[in-house]
Formats: sequence, C-alpha cells, structure tokens
Amino acid sequence: MSGRRAGAISLRILQQFRHDRRTLMLLFGAPIILLGLFYFLTGGGSSLPAVDVVNLDRGPLGAVLAADLGQSTEISVSRTTEARAASDLSADTVAAYVVLPADLSARALSGDVIAPTVHLEGTQPALTQPVLLALDQSVTRASRSLAAAEGVRVPVLEPSLDYLHGGPGLDTLDYFGGAFIGLVVFFLVFVVTIIAFLRERSQGTLERLMASPLRRADIVVGYIGGFMVVAAVQAVEVVIFTLYALHVHNQGDVALIVLLTLLMTLVAVNLGIFLSMFATTEFQAVQFIPLAIVPQVLLSGIVFPVATEPGWLQVVSRLLPLTYGVDGLRDVMLKGDGLTSGPLLLDIAVVVAFAVALIAAATATLRRSAA
Amino acid sequence: MNDVGEAVRIAGLTKAFGSIRALDGVSLTVGAGEIYGLLGPNGAGKTTLIRSLVGLVTPDAGTVTVLDCRLPDRAVLAEVGYMPQSPALYADLTVEENVRFFAAVHGLERHAAARSTADALEIVDLSPRRRSVVATLSGGMRQRVSLACALVHRPRLLLLDEPTVGVDPQLRAELWQRFTTMSGEGTTIIVSSHVMDEAERCGRLGLMRFGRMLAEGTSAELRRLAGVERLEDAFLVLSETTP
Repeated sequence: MSGRRAGAISLRILQQFRHDRRTLMLLFGAPIILLGLFYFLTGGGSSLPAVDVVNLDRGPLGAVLAADLGQSTEISVSRTTEARAASDLSADTVAAYVVLPADLSARALSGDVIAPTVHLEGTQPALTQPVLLALDQSVTRASRSLAAAEGVRVPVLEPSLDYLHGGPGLDTLDYFGGAFIGLVVFFLVFVVTIIAFLRERSQGTLERLMASPLRRADIVVGYIGGFMVVAAVQAVEVVIFTLYALHVHNQGDVALIVLLTLLMTLVAVNLGIFLSMFATTEFQAVQFIPLAIVPQVLLSGIVFPVATEPGWLQVVSRLLPLTYGVDGLRDVMLKGDGLTSGPLLLDIAVVVAFAVALIAAATATLRRSAA
Repeated sequence: MNDVGEAVRIAGLTKAFGSIRALDGVSLTVGAGEIYGLLGPNGAGKTTLIRSLVGLVTPDAGTVTVLDCRLPDRAVLAEVGYMPQSPALYADLTVEENVRFFAAVHGLERHAAARSTADALEIVDLSPRRRSVVATLSGGMRQRVSLACALVHRPRLLLLDEPTVGVDPQLRAELWQRFTTMSGEGTTIIVSSHVMDEAERCGRLGLMRFGRMLAEGTSAELRRLAGVERLEDAFLVLSETTP
C-alpha cells in the first residue's frame, strides 16, 4: 500500500464533494431534517389523540375519573353525550370514546372489577395504546384521591373494548398491509422513473426527442403509458400476493385496492419525471430518495397517525400524496368502504388531483429544460 | 448546387450563454440540395448554430427559417434529420430498435418504419449488426447508428454535427459518397467538421470563429481569398487575419 497513492484518492473524493454542493447539503442537512421529524412524530410537541368521555356514573368516581382524564398527558379529552361520541368516532374526529357506566362507583366501592367500555376506531393501533394507558393511570389516581374520603380501594380495571372497524382479530400485518401496498408501489415506480428519465437526459436522447416533431405532452403521455403497463402488472401482483399469500385482512373491494394502487403509480411516474429535472446525474437522483420518500413515509400516517402529529406537521402531511393513498387503502381494506363513502371518494379525488398537477408540472419541466 | 430554392435562411442570429457569446449576429443562406460545411475551431459556435436549426436553441436575437417555416415550428421538424455530436442512443436497445424508434417519432407508420430502418442500416453498413445491443458496439459503430437514426425518415434537411468522428477512412469515404448522392436527390445537408478532406467535398463552406461567420465560399474561393494552396492553410490564415 502506498500512502501517497491512497491519499490522492482521498483528496480527489474531497474535491468531488467540494464541487457537489447538493450532496454536501444532503449529508449535513438531511440528518437534521429526518431526526427532527422523528422528534416531532414520537412525542416532542406532538398532538394528543382526541378522545370523548361519556360519564354515566351515578356515584362520585365517574366525575373524578373524567376530570383526571382531562389532565392526561396521553390523550386530549372532551366530555360529551354517548350519541355525540358515537358520531364523532364514525366521522373519525376522535380516536376513541370511553363510556363510564352507571354502576362504576358502586362496583368500585364494593371492590368489584370495573369495566368502562372503550369504543375504538380500530384502524390505527398506534392510537389504541395511549387511550388504554391514560385510562389505567387515571383510574389509579382517581380512586386513590377518593380513597381517604370514601373508602374506595383501587379497583381492578378491565375495560371492555369495542372496535368500530377491525378488532382484536387483526394483527400488525393487517393494519400495515394496506398502507404498505401503497408505499411499496409508489416507492419502486418513483425510483425506476426518475432513473429512466434521467438517463434519457444524460445520454442525450431527450435532446434528440426535442429536435423531433414530438410535443412535450407526447413524451409525458408516452412515459405514463409505458410505465403504467408495467405498474398495472405490478399492482395486480402486489395486491394478489398481499391478500392471498400473506392473507392480509381485507373488507373491501379488491378492484378498488388495485385502482388506488394504480393511481399511486401514476403520481409516482410524474413525480419521477418532475424531480428528474433537478438532478443531473443518477447519483443525484438517488439522493432524492431520502429527501422525497423518507419524509413521506414518516408523515403519511403509515406508522405515526397523522392525527397525533403537531399541528404544523399535519399541514405538511396533508400536502403529500402518499398520505391520501395510504388513507384510501385503509378505508377500503379495514373499513370496507366503497365508492359511496365520502372520505374514500375524497382520498381518490385528492390523489387524482395530485396526478393531474404532477402531469402538468412534468410537462412544464420539459419546456424549461430545453432552453 | 441545385437552384430550386432555399432550405435554410438564418438572419442576424445571436445567442449568449452567460457571458459567452456562442453566436454573434450570424447570417447564412443554404440552397436546397446543397452540401454546406461549417468549419472552425472548438467553441466557434458550429454546434450552437446547428442546434438552433432544430429549435434546441432559443435565439436572443435574429430569425431562423427552415424549409420555408419560421422557427419555432414543431411540424417542420418531421422533415429535418439531426445527428448530435455525441451518439445519443438508447444503449440498452438493439441497433434496429433504436433506428425504428426514431422513424416512429418522426411520424412513419409501422411498415414504412420497418422498410426505412432496413434502408438506413444498409446505408451505414450495419445490417449484419442490427440485432446487437448498442451498449456492445464500438464508438464508430454507435456513430453510424446515430447517423442512421438521423436519416431514417428521409429528411429534406440533414444536420450532421461532426458525423464521421471515430469512423474508419473506408466507411467515411462511403458515407460521403452517400451524402453526395442524397444531395443530388435534393436533400440539403449541413455538416460541421474538422476534417479538411471532408470540407473539400462540401459545395460551400462557412468559416466560423468566436460565434461569427468569418468567410464563406467554395473551397477554391477560400483558398484564393487567403492566397494559399491548401484549404487547411486558408483556414489558419483567414482565422488570423479577420478581426
């Protein structure tokens, strides 16, 4: 080994970094952005899941317990009526509602097991844990504070769980399967298109196409056509594998799953063409993966529910196409929504709007690049 | 020269890239069926001039008229063939697939595209390699595939940016034979080159430097103007004496 020769290589690499500002920004900027996102998503300043509490208890414990839940650091509580709570849950404005039964105090006083009913939305397991944890903590605190005055012992808590969708029969795979269909397809199609289109630029054939009678829209539509044939096969393959080999729970129409998956690939193809303009080499294109894909994965509600993000981050989530694709797939597979469901139609409409906007952006990109 | 009309008229064409004036008020007329050679050192503006004839360069000033159509005009590009300096091809496709793609892009329907592709590959002497993937070809062969892609749709105007770089002398002679035939059939050819024996084969030559057209004329006219025997010397003399 020669120190001088090895040193020449090290020096050359540092020179290349100096000429490649984008890579430097990525290396030093992306960790801050990604770790910052993690901080906000895992608790730092994040929003609490909204939970309704319905107190039907005739004794003192219900009121004290409800008040204590209101102080919880795990959930954000509103007190309301049972009918109102039920409609909140089906409208997805709360993650759960807790009903404190009429005999709550009576049973606590007699040292019996207490069984408040926890009605869960059920499609997002990450929202279930904080509710149960908060309930457990508050029951302990509330009964202790009553212990002196009323002689209440800390009762055994056995909440009965009621799921609006899904239920205890679903495992982690069932919850994440739908979201992952969208993610996997979106990610792979995006990477393949951005590389393919970049190659078109770097090998000079795009310039040749620009010197032909082809219109820019012809090129974009041609790319969509070619990639969608492959993407359609991929979507069908992924859906069949997920549903019939992995037996991921599905309550909805398989055709709708395929439709949503295809819409996601349409968005991915055009995002790839659009972003390829901002890269000049395949190396730079690969750098878009952490910047364009990882934040979307974190913010699209796949693992961290959008509802528990800090408010400003929820706004960001609402600007990302993957959020709506994931939401739509969950609506179909976990809730069994069909084309009559408002939230599902909204998800589909937003994904279509993203696709149209990105087709326009991709076409405009071509215009700018051919100076 | 065959005097049936103008194929190209450029007037006062100016284009700057940042502080570099690639073209500085160039005017040029090329008649139909002419072979016009662009000569000049690297960076003289030859490539920018050729690119402006297919609308790849938006002029800062001046006009470009191609086959009686004022650019920008996408439709007229169906009648133009453009061969860029570096062979811009799909390396993962075969020779035939590349040529047929460019035939289709220029509007040829399937059967016509297949026929023209076979003809174009015959011209560049690559018929035996038509099923080879481009990535496996040598540089000179890629150059020939690129040429086939530029002439597959039988354009009325053929723009060649250093077409014979890396092509062996025998094939180069054959290609020039072919260019002369095409010109006889009415195709207008504008070709940039560094090779002087190629320049001798052009009907007229334009000598460029610093984005300007220094002198124009036949090889004999340029040699007489410079008062020298060889075109190469004329090139050097005219480059230095003209401001």
